[in-house]
Order: sequence, then C-alpha cells, then structure tokens
Amino acid sequence: MDAISRRAFAEQLALAAAAPWFLDESAVRRPPAPQQSEPSPLAKALAEAVRVRYPDRFSADDLTAITRSIDGRLRAIERLYQTALTNADEPDFVYSVYRGAD
Amino acid sequence: MEFAFLPVVELGRLLRQKKTSATELATYFLDRLERIGPRFNAVATVTRERALAEATQADREIGQGKWRGPLHGIPYGVKDLLATKDYPTTWGAEPYRQRKFDADATVIERLGAGGAVLVAKLAMVELAGGMGYTQANASFTGPGKTPWNPAYWSGGSSSGPGAAVAAGLVPFAIGSETSGSILTPAAYCGVTGLRPTYGLVSRHGAMALAWTMDKLGPLGRSAEDCGIVLEVIAGKDPKDASSVNRGFRMTTQSGSKFRIGVPKGADKDIQPEVAANFRAALKVLEDRVELVEDVELPDLPYGAVAGLIIAAEGASAFDDLLKDGRLSQLTAPEDRTGGYPALAVSAPDYLRALRVRRPMQRALDDFLKKFDALAVPTRTTVATPLDKPFRDGWPGVTGGANVIGPTNVVGVPGVSVPNGFGVQGLPTGLSFTARAFDEGKLVSLARLYQSRTDWHTRRPPLD
Repeated sequence: MDAISRRAFAEQLALAAAAPWFLDESAVRRPPAPQQSEPSPLAKALAEAVRVRYPDRFSADDLTAITRSIDGRLRAIERLYQTALTNADEPDFVYSVYRGAD
Repeated sequence: MEFAFLPVVELGRLLRQKKTSATELATYFLDRLERIGPRFNAVATVTRERALAEATQADREIGQGKWRGPLHGIPYGVKDLLATKDYPTTWGAEPYRQRKFDADATVIERLGAGGAVLVAKLAMVELAGGMGYTQANASFTGPGKTPWNPAYWSGGSSSGPGAAVAAGLVPFAIGSETSGSILTPAAYCGVTGLRPTYGLVSRHGAMALAWTMDKLGPLGRSAEDCGIVLEVIAGKDPKDASSVNRGFRMTTQSGSKFRIGVPKGADKDIQPEVAANFRAALKVLEDRVELVEDVELPDLPYGAVAGLIIAAEGASAFDDLLKDGRLSQLTAPEDRTGGYPALAVSAPDYLRALRVRRPMQRALDDFLKKFDALAVPTRTTVATPLDKPFRDGWPGVTGGANVIGPTNVVGVPGVSVPNGFGVQGLPTGLSFTARAFDEGKLVSLARLYQSRTDWHTRRPPLD
C-alpha cells in the first residue's frame, strides 16, 4: 500500500467492480481484490432482481459478474454518503419550465 | 507533393497560394484512408462522394475569392458517434452498423460552414466504452492499433481519430471524451488532443453516453491546429441546452510565467520512461513556468461520483439495447453484460451523486484557481498490448496521479501533447489541465512546449 493512499486504493477497489465503465487510470491499474470477497446480501438480491427482469438472458458466469459489479458499486456509493450535504444542496442540474409558442 | 503530415496552417497556406486544391487534398487523404486505414482498424466509413462534393465547392469558392477561414478546403474525420447525413453512424456497435441519421451533428455543420471537407467516419470503441470494456477488441471494426506499433492499442474510445491523425490519414479529427477518451488516444498515438470544457462545444447529434459528462474536441498534429479547430466548433447551440454562450479564441501568454501545479505522486511508480519524459518536458519549460510540486487535489469521491453518473446515464441512454437484449451483439464479451448492473442503481443514489458533484465542482475550482494549469503524464504507461486485458498490460505500475477522472467529473478542460517515447517505441504524453473555460491557457502552454520540441512532428514507421 505504499504506492497509493488507502483512500485511493479503497476508491479504486470499489470502482474496479462498480465502474469499469469509464477508462481512467483505475481501469488500467485495477486491483484484483473484489473478486475474492463475498458479495453482500443486498448485491445478491439486486442481481436477482436483474435476473428476474430478464430470466432467460444470463449464464451463471454472467450473473456472477453482474453481482460483483453491483457489490462494488454499492461500496462506492457508501462514500457518497460520507460527503456532508444539507437539504439545500441541490443536484447539479436546473429544471426549467416549458411554454410553447402561442 | 506529400501532404500527409502537414499541419492545418501549412495546408491552408498551400490552398491560398493555389499550390494545391481542396480536391487534390481530399483525394490524397481519401486514398490514404482506404489504403492505410485498415492496417490500424482506424476507419468506419470513407465518405468519398461527400468529400469530393465538398471539396469541389471549396475549390469553386476559393477560386472566387470567398475565403471561409483557416479550415476552408481542409480534410478531416470524425469519430463515428457524430450523426452524418447519407452515411452510417454506427457508434462502433454491431446493432447500429447500418443505421443512418437524416441530419448532420452541429459540430459537422460548423466545420462545413468553415469550409472543411469530411473525408471519413473514424472507428471507435463500441458505445464509447459505455458498457465497461476491459480490453482493446471492443468494436466491430476490430481493436484500434497505434501506428507506432500495431501490436499495441491506439487508446480509446476515440481510437480511430487518434490512429488516423497519427498515420497521416486526416489532418485533424473530432473525438469525444466522457472520461479519458480524447486524451488517452492522443497519448497512445503520439498526437495532440484537446478536451474542451463541458458545454463549450455542442453535443447535438453526438451519441450520448453520459449527458452531463460528454465532451467533443479535436485531435490534431499540434496544439495550434487543435486551437484552430476549437475556434470553429465552439459556441452556443440552441439544439443543445447544455451548451454555453462562449466562444474560443487563441491567444499567447507572453512574458509572465505559467504557474504549474504537479500533483503529488504524478511521476512515482509509473513506467520509468514516462516519468523521465515528464520531467524532461517540464525542464524544457523551466524558464517560463513556476512549478509547485506535490499539490493535492481535494479529497472527494470523484471515482464514485463518476462511476455512478456514467452507469445511470449510460443505462438510460442505451435502455433500448438493455431492454431488447441487443447488447448481446456487442463485440467485447464483457460489454454484453456490462450494462445490466446499472439497473440496480437507485434514483436517490444517482441524485446523491449529482448533489455531491456540486460542492466537488466548487472545491476543484478553488484548487485549480491557484494555478494556470496542472501538469501530469497523460497516462502512467505507454499503450497497452492488444493481446492482454488492460489491467495485465503493464503489471507493476501502480502509481501516478489520477487527474483524468476528477477533471472529467466536473467538466474542466485538458490537453495532451506528445513528449517522447517509451518502451517498444511507443509515444508518451504530457497533459495540462485548467479551470473551466481556460482552454486559452492550455493551448498557449502546449504551443509554447511544441515551439521548443519536435515530438509532435515525428512520424510513425508506416512503410
């Protein structure tokens, strides 16, 4: 753990399963650990919900990959809730009302 | 005459002096695209008929003394996620291999208004990597190959724009970046790539991966060329609500020094050649920069926010593929299931990510305003080999400072310039990143560097 901080490692760890979506350095330096830990019951339940939605679409290996990915994302989400926000902190988009031509 | 590696400025001079014509240039680059492009899996569609029609019009106008600007008569290519009339727009994905749109993307309209000549739709990673590819073979056009050594990846997801510019198949190209997709191929292919601030360039007509993170920008032979292109494509577009009422004009910062922050660990535990090239590049600029070493970005969950936003927005943007199962037609096996985990992202969690991003933007802006730019090696390694997953490409490289991720989440600009070569004869890149809408500083810095080095003029061994 000397090359990167514990925080950075934890984030990469979460990203490794949670977001292979975007190719920043974490995708190249992806650590192998997430595959070794047991997915959480919530991750398994959410993966089961995906399977129920598309019952004939996934092999056992597919479901394993999906479960691990969900598990990693759930870990990443925990960090979002460690960032302090108040009720007044709105999402970073602005909804604007529409009125068409008269 | 050989045109393949001339910068836009020089091609324009030749056109104005009537030493060549737009038709001759178009024909020259069309032939190279068809002859050399397949070697690097760089091309999706050569737009020969359209190119020759646009070139004929450009020649007629130039002959009449009607000069549209510095791109008039200059050929170019676009990543195949920009809608183009009369030709397929495939997004690199098998399900869309035959799909056509009936209008051009705004960026193509603006380049057309500037007189540029579209010669090719360029290859890309399927769905811009939105399904989580983990290796290079993730497009129906095959894995993108860097012209410097075709056993190695061109980078992605703008794989074709990077390779095509590097191989002299187009003078410049338009790519897109959600998180690294312009700067990575720029570094791996040894060209210059400019990622504009989110909203500076209209996304209308471009494939959406993540609406709140996608950016379009140029890849070219030099920072000056990229600046010229950005001048043409930047600006408000009523068809893109996220576009901003700003343009871009190149300037030069003379006299005063640039204050450059170097993030902590930027050149630690990365490939030695990459680290050495980074320090050598800073040395080249030493009389014009004030270096501030070991700066640290605010400690915030950039990766978690980016991952959640891209997952949720991507799953929504491609919900038709998820719903009807056509993801199974994608090239990379991991892409065929990569979208499904996003169905487990809850709406409150997505909104939490959007809420966290706002203080994140403020914190990063407060941090960036202390500098004219941050400097890092664009990537911690040279291009990864085609025959291995990314994670196994260069084992043991665990360091570096992740700037691409955080700066993409908040949408600030970056530029990558070639700064030397590493193992296997592969190019390395130097990146500068700045506050929102400070593209002028980035282009000035990059032009200064390129005025003192010749890495951007090197050519890959094509024969």
